[in-house]
Order: sequence, then structure tokens, then C-alpha cells
Amino acid sequence: MELHLTSEQMLLRESAAKFCAAVGPKVARSFRGQQPGFAPARLRQAGELGWLGVLVPSSADGLGLGLTELALVLEQTGRALVCEPIGLGAVAAAALAQGHAPHPMLQRAMRGDALVVPALQEGAHGGDPLTPRMQAAGGDPAPRLTGTKVSVCAGGADGFLVSASGADGPALYYVSRDAAGMRMTTALTVEGRSLATLTLKDTPADLVPPRQSSRSAVEALADLTLVALAAELLGVMQGAQELTFEYLRVRKQFGKPIGSFQALQHKAVDIYIKTETTRSLLYQVAAANDPYRIDPAQAVAVKAKASEDALAVTQACIQLHGAIGFTDEHDIGLYLKRAMLLSSLFGNAAAQRRRYAEIAELTM
Amino acid sequence: MFRHDSPDEAKFRAEVRTWFEANLPAALRGRTNRPPPAELMPWYRTLSRKGWIAPHWPKEHGGMGATLNEQIIMTEELARVGAPQVPAQGLNHIGPILIEFGTEAQKKKHLPPILAGDVIWAQGYSEPGAGSDLASLATRATLEGDHFVVQGQKIWTTWGHHSQWMFALVRTDPQAQPRHAGISFLLLDLRSPGIRIRPIHTIAGDDEFAEVFFDNVVVPAENLIGKLNDGWRIANALLGHERLGTSNPQFALIALDRIKTIARASGVMADAGFRDRLAAASINVMALAALFSHAVELTNRQRSLGPDSSIVKIFGSELLQSLSDLLIEAAGSDASLAEPVPTEFGAVDVSTPFLQVRRATIYGGSSEIQRNIVARRVLNLPQ
Repeated sequence: MELHLTSEQMLLRESAAKFCAAVGPKVARSFRGQQPGFAPARLRQAGELGWLGVLVPSSADGLGLGLTELALVLEQTGRALVCEPIGLGAVAAAALAQGHAPHPMLQRAMRGDALVVPALQEGAHGGDPLTPRMQAAGGDPAPRLTGTKVSVCAGGADGFLVSASGADGPALYYVSRDAAGMRMTTALTVEGRSLATLTLKDTPADLVPPRQSSRSAVEALADLTLVALAAELLGVMQGAQELTFEYLRVRKQFGKPIGSFQALQHKAVDIYIKTETTRSLLYQVAAANDPYRIDPAQAVAVKAKASEDALAVTQACIQLHGAIGFTDEHDIGLYLKRAMLLSSLFGNAAAQRRRYAEIAELTM
Repeated sequence: MFRHDSPDEAKFRAEVRTWFEANLPAALRGRTNRPPPAELMPWYRTLSRKGWIAPHWPKEHGGMGATLNEQIIMTEELARVGAPQVPAQGLNHIGPILIEFGTEAQKKKHLPPILAGDVIWAQGYSEPGAGSDLASLATRATLEGDHFVVQGQKIWTTWGHHSQWMFALVRTDPQAQPRHAGISFLLLDLRSPGIRIRPIHTIAGDDEFAEVFFDNVVVPAENLIGKLNDGWRIANALLGHERLGTSNPQFALIALDRIKTIARASGVMADAGFRDRLAAASINVMALAALFSHAVELTNRQRSLGPDSSIVKIFGSELLQSLSDLLIEAAGSDASLAEPVPTEFGAVDVSTPFLQVRRATIYGGSSEIQRNIVARRVLNLPQ
């Protein structure tokens, strides 16, 4: 169903769609196995368009817009399988802009001259982001971090936003890629990028203070990241569905387009329902929440639903393509692989459901 | 969850809530089966006297002229207080159809008794040979001078045996191609000679619907709505609105509460697998609330949902069924009890809502027919 948008929001979506039209599966394919796995020039271009600073307040030279605008851009980047980490870069920039004085990295991160990404996850299943095992010691002037972060999209990153537990509970820190005492190991993903494990030992870091409206800087960034990933996942579903519905219209068997067969039509409608219900949930959550203080139940719910549905939709799309869908040559597989990556990051659907059960007190 | 009341709407909600609490008899609250007319109609008339029985009708026809948001608030508050659903065929179907397509005389004759609760209406669409393929309906109405003679049978007629009038689709041109071009929309007095009505027991243990037989029933020609052979368009004109109403997430939220109560009482809430399924269902209820709110936003801006209203119906009704699966899972071996299950938090009816909700994916066009509609008219897949 169409969204109810302002004319500015429609323009933003149009310009994002235009930017992304130059990308698409072929470009995504060309980055497979490359380092950093995206085009730094295109990241800078996204910065020039303001998207990396979409949430950053205008007082800090950002666009000062909301979650709806973030989602509109990321839906398009997901749809075109854009490899530049615009979503992670944008949420990190939003975090760097918190506090009375923005972090010195903010301007470069917003321009796309530097890439900062969140490093919040400590286990394969996400865990509770609010009780990190990473330890912060040394107090405010010169904090030092010790611990491990996993599944970090570290390709091309110049720095990380790391959550750690200190004397006053969880706090957020900026850690430079070349900080002393940090070790990085990487592993290749199915879609051609790599995920890193960061091992920090007494590593110097800068405290990133929370915004006044946030409960904590860690919670604000964690929930924001979930919504950003959900928006990209929606785009992946949308792109896969467009490709597949077109195939159903043109592919002929038994002398007829296969899209005329009821069994396939009903599968197509189930794909459409998953995409549309994820769309409604995402944009209603976006409209209802302050980017720095998202209702945690809504953040985990939208990530859970987008993760589960994107995997289901991209799998069904391969099935509807038949054998050609199983070939590396066909693009539909790229959407499944992107869904595999994004749905698993920061807690997969099952991990989000576990958190939802806790937040919503589904207890005895 | 996502829709927020404006200050005026919040005031309206508070007023409605207070009045429902004060005026709905305790015996009618939280019933899983619809009470019979003798019990239900006094409540209908109480709403009528208050002027609240027809929120969506224009004021000039005796309705409240309420905004869509006010209508939704009333639906939500009625659900919250556990009110039974009043007979809706008059209020939601023939009333709006008469307002749109009826003559002045037809409106004057039929609208006031609907508002007052003096007449209960039945819908005569389905037939034994015309369910999903409604356009194949065969009940014949032959025009003979100033009257029609009706011969045939209707079925799945909700509250047919409690109704005094029926609006029906009848075949007036057996040769017409396509078939729906030979169908007219006719009002029938169910007390006419030649009509026989037999209630049908459902698997949910009620007599919610009936079959109605017509044996040479004489119907005045003035009971035709719109033009001869234009009945199909009239019947379909107001369908989208109905799908929105039955998908209000309030019903799913009530179902969730029922599951949580029984799951805590039975102890299954401690089971990680159950909690996972409950979390998944709760997230889908949130998605339904979002979908509903999205659809309301568009409708409020005068943009017709068109065939997209089908996905609201599919998702909402199938979600209610998956919630009913969780309900019987939570109840364990109490699931099959015909009586409400006693718990420390009060008695919870398990089997009735589970059985009741089978109908949600069938009435108003089955889920499969809705999928056909979406495939062709939204996704533009080939025929």
C-alpha cells in the first residue's frame, strides 16, 4: 500500500531511488571478495546528499530528519543491493552527534570521508545489548576497553562505536581502527563482504555521551540499528519481489505464463503480504518514534519481523524461479544472500523474539 | 498502539467508555457466543436511544455522522468492555446501500426501523451452488407486472431465522453474459407466503446462520434497489469498508490477553518454546495494528484502499486463527472442554473462540478468493 508522505519525503525517496538505479545487482556482484567491498566514492556521494547525516541535528550540520526519512533512503539502498554501508554509517553518525559537543569524527563520518560503524554484538545470538561483557576502566578522561565484539561490518571502517559496561552501567565509546591493543580477525560472508571479530585489550577509547532524551547511548544506538537494518531488509524483499513477479509474467510453461497458475499466484500473494505488513510496521514505528528514544519493544519487533519475512520471501522467490534461481548467474540469489547477512546481524529473528518476550513480560 | 487520539478524540473516547461501562448489562459482557435476540436487542435499542447505533451513517439519515477515527474508537471501546456484536446486516450493509442507491420512499420505509432496532435484516447472497463463485447464483426473480416471483434458495444466512427482512441477489436474466450482468438486488419481507427458514447448527455450537427457501414468493416490484440487472455493482460497492472493520486489531489484542491468562494458569508460560511462539504472535499483532493504522490513514485521506483491503482481511483473519492455535496449545488437555476453563484469574472460554474463528477466513470471500483478487488486481499477474 502507498505510504502517506509529505512532498519533501517523496522527493527524498525519489532522489534515493535515482541514486540507487545506478547500482543494482551487477554492481553488488562486482564487489564480491573485494576489500573494502564497496566504492568509497559512492559513500562520499551519499554523504554529499546528506544521507549519512539524515538524523544528525541541524545544529551539528546534519539534515535533522527522522526515522521515516532514514527508512525511505535505506529501503531504496536495500532494494538495489547497495554495498556502501549507508545505514550503519548513518546510525553511527547519529550516535556521534549526541552529547553537548559532537565527537570530532562526526563531520568526516557525515561527509563519508570516514566510516564509523556500530560494534555492539558479543555473541552469535545478539544477547542483551544493554549488559555488554566488554569492560570499561579508567574513568572519563581516559577510558580503556577490554573485551570482544563479533559480527562487525568492519570492511573499510575507520572506527567503531563500542558498547561496554563501566561503573555506571552500559556506555558507548568510540574506538579508532588503529587504536592500541585492538586485534581484528575477519571472515568472508556468503554475499562477498566480511565480518570482523574485534578483540580489545586495554584499548583507549572516547566516551560518547547520550543525548538528553535517550535512556542511554547504548540503548539508543542498538534500537536505531535494528530499525535501520529492518528498513534495508524491507528493500531487499521489495527488490526480490519485483524481480520475481516480472518473471512470473514472462516465463511460459504449458503454453501459458506461469504467473497464471493459481498455486504460484497464491505464493506470490503470500510474498506480497509479508512485504506489505513489514512495510506498514516499519513506517508506523518510524513515524511514532524519536530516533534517539525508540520504544524497545517496537524496535525488536520490527527487526524480528523483517528478518523472518525477508528470509522467507527471498527463499520463496528462488523457488518461484525454479532451477535458474539456484544458479550463481541469476541475480535472485544475491537477494537471499543479502537477507541472510542483514537478518542475522545484531540478533536474528529468534533472538529478537527472545528479547521481545522479556520486554513485553511474557512471563509467569 | 500506533494511532493516537487527538484531544477531541480522547474526550470522545472517555465519554464513550464511561457510558458503555454504565449502560452495558453485565450479563452481556465477554460472551463468546452471540446472545439470542431477546437478550441482545434491548442493548441495541439502548444504543439507539443514545443516538450511537449508527456511527457511520450521515446525520441526515439518523446516524452520528462520525469520522472514521470516531467509528474506530467506538469499535475499540465496545471490544474493550466486552460488548456482544449487534446484528450488523442492517447497519453495515443494507443501510449504507439504501443511503447510496435507494429511492426516497425506500429510505423512508426501511432506514428508521433499522435505527430503532425494530427490524433485523438478513443477507441473501450465498446459495448451495454459489459460494465462492457467487456470480453463478440461480435464485430466480421473474418480473410479472407489478411484482417479482422468487423461486430458489439462499444459505449461510446469518441470523436468517431471527430476521424479518432480507436483501438478496437474485437472477433476473438467465441468459446474461457475463453472468453477473443478469443479477438484481431485491428486498424481501421474510414473513411473505412461500418462505421457509431452517436454522443451521455450526461447529461452534450456535445457530448463527440459516437456510432460506423461496417457493413462488411474491415481491412487489418497488422492492428492487437500483436498476434491473445492476445488482452486482450495488452489492460490491461497499465491500472495502467492511473488511477494514472486521480487522480492527482490538480483537487480536483481546485474543492475546485470553492466551496469556490461560498460559499463566496452566504454567505453559514458563516454557521457552511457547514463549517464542507467543512472542511471534504478539509481533504479528503489532504488525496488524500497523497495517490497520496505515489503512485508516489512507482511507481518512479519501484514498480508496481498493483491492489492497483484501490483504488486511487475509492477514487479520489468519492471524486470529494462529492466535486460536496458541490458545488451545496453552490450555493443554482443557482445550476440548465445552465449558469455560476455570482459572485463578477467572473462567476462560477456550473451545468456543477456537471454533468460532474458523469462519473468519471463509465469510466475506474466503482467503483463497481474496488471494485470487490480489494476484490479479494488485500484482497484475496474468489470467
